[in-house]
Amino acid sequence: MEFSELIRTGRAEALLLPGPGQSTVRGTLCITSHHLLLSAGHGSPSDLWLLLHNVDAVEKRVAGNSGTITLKCKDLQVLQLEIEGLGETLDIASSIEALSSLESVTTSYPFFFRPQSLRLGDAEDLYPPDHFYQQVALETDAWRLSTVNRDFQVCASYPPALVVPRGIGDEVLARSAHFRQGGRFPVLSYYHSTNGTVMLRSSQPLQGANRRRCAEDEELLRAALALGGQRGLVLDTRSAQAVKQARITGGGTEAKAAYPGWKRLHRPLERGRPLQDSFVRLVEACTDPSLSMDRWLSRLDGCRWLTHVKEALTTACLVAQGMDREGVCFLVHGAEGTDATLLVTSLAQLILDPKCRTMHGFQSLLEREWIQAGHPFQQRCAHSAYAQGRPKHEAPTFLLFLDCVWQLSRQFPLSLEFGEGMLLALFEHAYASPFGTFLCNSEKERYLCEVKTKTHSLWSSLNQSKERQRFCNPIYSPNPLALWPSVEPQSLQLWAGKVSFPVPLPALSIGSALTGFLPTPNSRPFPPMDSST
Amino acid sequence: MASAATPKYNSRSLENDSIRRSSRDGFTRDLCEEIPRLPGETRITDKEVIYICPFNGPIKGRVYITNYRLYLRSFETDSGALLDIPLGVIARVEKMGGASSRGENSYGLDITCKDMRNLRFALKQEGHSRRDIFEVLTKYAFPRSHGLPLFAFLNEEKFPENGWMVYNPIEEYRRQGLPNDQWRVSFVNKRFEMCETYPSILVVPYHSTDDDLRKVATFRSRNRIPATGGGYESDDVYHNAEIFFLDIHNIHVMRESLRKLKDIVYPNVEESHWLSSLESTHWLEHVKFVLTGAIQVADKVASGRSSVLVHCSDGWDRTAQLTSLAMLMLDSYYRTITGFEVLIQKEWISFGHKFASRIGHGEKNYADTDRSPIFLQFMDCVWQMSKQFPTAFEFNEQFLITILDNLYSCRFGTFLFNSEYAREKEKVMMKTLSLWSMINSDKGKYTNPFYTKELNRALYPVASMRHLELWVNYYIRWNTRMRQQQPDPVEQRYMELLALRDEYVKRLEEMKMTNSAKLTSPSASSSAPSQMMPHVQTHF
Repeated sequence: MEFSELIRTGRAEALLLPGPGQSTVRGTLCITSHHLLLSAGHGSPSDLWLLLHNVDAVEKRVAGNSGTITLKCKDLQVLQLEIEGLGETLDIASSIEALSSLESVTTSYPFFFRPQSLRLGDAEDLYPPDHFYQQVALETDAWRLSTVNRDFQVCASYPPALVVPRGIGDEVLARSAHFRQGGRFPVLSYYHSTNGTVMLRSSQPLQGANRRRCAEDEELLRAALALGGQRGLVLDTRSAQAVKQARITGGGTEAKAAYPGWKRLHRPLERGRPLQDSFVRLVEACTDPSLSMDRWLSRLDGCRWLTHVKEALTTACLVAQGMDREGVCFLVHGAEGTDATLLVTSLAQLILDPKCRTMHGFQSLLEREWIQAGHPFQQRCAHSAYAQGRPKHEAPTFLLFLDCVWQLSRQFPLSLEFGEGMLLALFEHAYASPFGTFLCNSEKERYLCEVKTKTHSLWSSLNQSKERQRFCNPIYSPNPLALWPSVEPQSLQLWAGKVSFPVPLPALSIGSALTGFLPTPNSRPFPPMDSST
Repeated sequence: MASAATPKYNSRSLENDSIRRSSRDGFTRDLCEEIPRLPGETRITDKEVIYICPFNGPIKGRVYITNYRLYLRSFETDSGALLDIPLGVIARVEKMGGASSRGENSYGLDITCKDMRNLRFALKQEGHSRRDIFEVLTKYAFPRSHGLPLFAFLNEEKFPENGWMVYNPIEEYRRQGLPNDQWRVSFVNKRFEMCETYPSILVVPYHSTDDDLRKVATFRSRNRIPATGGGYESDDVYHNAEIFFLDIHNIHVMRESLRKLKDIVYPNVEESHWLSSLESTHWLEHVKFVLTGAIQVADKVASGRSSVLVHCSDGWDRTAQLTSLAMLMLDSYYRTITGFEVLIQKEWISFGHKFASRIGHGEKNYADTDRSPIFLQFMDCVWQMSKQFPTAFEFNEQFLITILDNLYSCRFGTFLFNSEYAREKEKVMMKTLSLWSMINSDKGKYTNPFYTKELNRALYPVASMRHLELWVNYYIRWNTRMRQQQPDPVEQRYMELLALRDEYVKRLEEMKMTNSAKLTSPSASSSAPSQMMPHVQTHF
């Protein structure tokens, strides 16, 4: 495919109207295969470089011999461009529409992005497949690394290497996978080294209306419980009613009689369409300039976004508390086990495990519990809050996770090594990025598209010392304890960094005061003494 | 070398340390009675009670009443005070249940406080056991209704600083460049014969004579002439004057709004539809209106090079809010600890905000329609500004909360009485202590470590509902669930880092000194610098 076929006009004179926190730029607008560039000439610092994949919705308006194009981006910024020429306006709008909606992964920008400071494949060793296992193996030899899924035959959405109870053979895993939706058999998600309890995750068992059982699946969970303690709890992220419904279509949950020692708990978390709707309503409310301000709080309430934040954090706290305080092992799943499940398991680890709160540890957590665990980023982040038309598989589950992490960072401002900037960057990159990290829906797809050898990793970029310093929390102080957040409604706040209000706050923050001069682990506050004096 | 600094840097997690803020500074503890007392504080009575804690259920203990405070110690835990409340905070004491009331803990006292909480004590039903304590409490919580002095007049505390010296009108006017060729100082109200609710020293237009002022006074509500600092002006008469109205409701609406807010936060927070309930109290909306008004005033003064006359019906509620907030926005001096004290002293206390009527110090008449949280609302606006500009204020949240707590406590004379005239008559400056004496004697506690001094910068907060927050650390501080959250570990951490930086800077200076000393001695010059470099680096 030639990109040039989609570019109807590559060039026009345009004016970027200032929005919240933006300045006016007047200059030449260029459309390339992956970018929109608006340059005042001479590489001016105010030049606008916009990744076209970031465009969520294009609105055009023409009047006389000029037009206005409004670009609503996936990272929630809104750009207004005034363009000279009627034809140019229409051509540019349709070029942007065509280029921004391309779905092919291998022609996407990450496959062309070649920054000078990075080498391809240099993140290969950062989070190797057995990284997690090596950490667990330092604490216990009760678990092993299985490569039963090395060619993605057993489970298409799992990575090739998984951690399972040592006594369980690969053939048992394969049988269990048959009994689980999408083949996602129970695997180790987190080993709590202070008391040896474990957290597993999976998809729902294919119990069906006639309550099928699977001896191997039961054996697997029995073995896991024997390693982790006496009491187990299956945390189902759906309501009991939803499970009943699922049974009709072949799904279900663990029958009590079949899994001795395991009890069941339902903590319904919103997912899919309702979550996407909540996100859309939130962004509407935040950007609605006509909203009567005495109705703002009830409108915010009505979006229910903060309710979802509260529910997610509450559920994660419940799991973390059960493991840490009551010595209970958990199996977390909903239906597919790729959304709410990962939200709960990753948050619980952040609460319990100080290692996850470092820059490196957090990246490792994201890599393991979201990317390799098969959260379908491509589907979920295909569109953000502005896109017209019916959403298909879109859902801001990952954004909800980032929001929960932000709430933790607000309540424990010293305990996370990374700052708000890092969370915002992750949000942007998940929706549109020059890096390959969040491409595709699973490791299998990434393997087929050769993402790891043909694109750069976001992590190698973030770990460059300059970037690292930008995303670090300058007042980080390692905290060996669990973080128990308050989930009271008045303790949770709208993460304003995520949405741009019509009237932004003036920029005068503690962050800017802090990053000014404080020593960060990576930088020396003073230049080395000049030996020539 | 770095060993002295390293433990400070890494040793413990501040966030999970319980930070116990002692409220006992300056108190002496009598070992026999084991309750803290201020000098001049005397014990009146004590009684075995059951404290019906809304968060932890009934707790058996002993309540002590002094002429200053109510103090409760639990029998079960020896963790010090469960309650330690100045009696001035109490708005109302009621009897709960009767001698024949059935059910557990149904007989006792209900206490309504001015600071967003209520207390309930259950007593034994036999022998009218609550009569004495009810009488003592009523008498000492409302001394002015019983012909007794307020505790501020009995307080014998000593502080190194004298807060009464903080505000000197002449000096403050001089700081603002007054008097000048347009404005002059007038002593027309020296003995308060012109206007009782105004201070004795005023700054007025240069060309208006004292006789003019006396004439103007008879025209203004309660003789309050326009000075730098009811009915509205008709445009035809006041040339060159533009009138704008700020849509701010009256004191009764504010009182009602705060009552509603208390209903949804105490004792339990209304969890379902929290934000909608918060909205229905309209508290934040009122805060918004006040801030918006102050921004308009400040903007007029700053941009139009015009003067602004601010008034409401009597000129001591809204006017004080708007002028003081506008001054806070325009003049960075008022964002310092001393400057803010001067601001309160000048725009609120001196210019006659009726603190006694609005707060009801020592008065039993809780239902008085003069009561209104006007000053609290102002402080809320200040807090909103400090949230939006976290580096612009020299004082921290603790400073604001301390001021509000002592607005009610009656420990200091600062907020007592309605006007300077009344304070002079009661010899407040001679007979009581100033709140600023306590604060200025321990400034570090009230200092915002993030403060970066910026002169002449005007701050315009965003008065949009989207950016206003509920001041949770004030309004919901009694909720024990909230208290699990640490006050502000960032502040502490920041101060540690500042100390660390100072230490490194000092050490670097020392090294430079040693280095140059060695350089001047010829024998060491070749090897010393290269050896020192890695030595410096290892610590970072």
